[in-house]
Amino acid sequence: MDYGVITFSSTYGAIYAQKVLKEVAPIQVMPVLREISLGCGIAVRFRPEDLERVAAALAASTLKPEEYAFYAVTGRGDHLTARPIPDGAASTGSAI
Amino acid sequence: MSYVVDAKGKPCPTPVILAKQAMAEGHDPFTVLVDNPTAVENLKRLAGNQGFTAAVREADGVYAVDFAKGEGCTACEAAVSSPLPAAGGDWAVFVGRDIIGDGDRELGANLMRMFFYTLAQGEDKPGAVLFMNAGVKLPTLDEQVVDHLKALHEAGVEILVCGTCLNFYSLAEQLKVGTVSNMYDIVTRMQKAGKVITL
Repeated sequence: MDYGVITFSSTYGAIYAQKVLKEVAPIQVMPVLREISLGCGIAVRFRPEDLERVAAALAASTLKPEEYAFYAVTGRGDHLTARPIPDGAASTGSAI
Repeated sequence: MSYVVDAKGKPCPTPVILAKQAMAEGHDPFTVLVDNPTAVENLKRLAGNQGFTAAVREADGVYAVDFAKGEGCTACEAAVSSPLPAAGGDWAVFVGRDIIGDGDRELGANLMRMFFYTLAQGEDKPGAVLFMNAGVKLPTLDEQVVDHLKALHEAGVEILVCGTCLNFYSLAEQLKVGTVSNMYDIVTRMQKAGKVITL
């Protein structure tokens, strides 16, 4: 993947997650990709090498697993693909 | 000895206005004295736009900006005084605040970062992004917006930041990207743009 994206079921979750994650890895806020959802929402972008750290930090936070989802993004423009990273990303991160 | 304009202690844009007066009165060469780097930058740009050269001398916190008419023909002067062709599109973004919209500050800050993320990623880029008032907190203090502005700048987008506003918020030393600018340049970019989007 070129970069990872986390989407959230609520805006509050997205804002809270930034506070948690900026302590563990460099992140950026971005709009949720059209490829993932037609809705508008706040997503967090992170570097592939930070996947395990980011997943572990969210797992340890007060957010519930069903309140967020991880995606691996590759390519851009018309060639962009976003693939869901299954639950337990923290343990399977190295397989991505 | 050439004509001297003493603009020490004068707030922006007074030094620029006084220098323009000196030009209009036909003084050449002439020298403008100011006491802050922002005024120096503004005067240098004025010189560039008006076909003058500007040499800067500094002593004990006082800057002397020496204006002299460049070796020029009318055509070069016209070329110099015309606005820079924008590398980006024929439109500009005016950012007068540090969040998007009214309401929750944190949501507004996120929306602003997402705006610049999207702008930097897209193909259709503006010719200029103009920052005033609390908007100047973005190219100074917001790490993510700074990253996006650097990418935009590298793509040829002009980033102009109000010097008066930087001074007001004591952020002049913390500008990470863009050019310290003034009302003249910012208004000119607005007037020349096909459209201005205000945030």
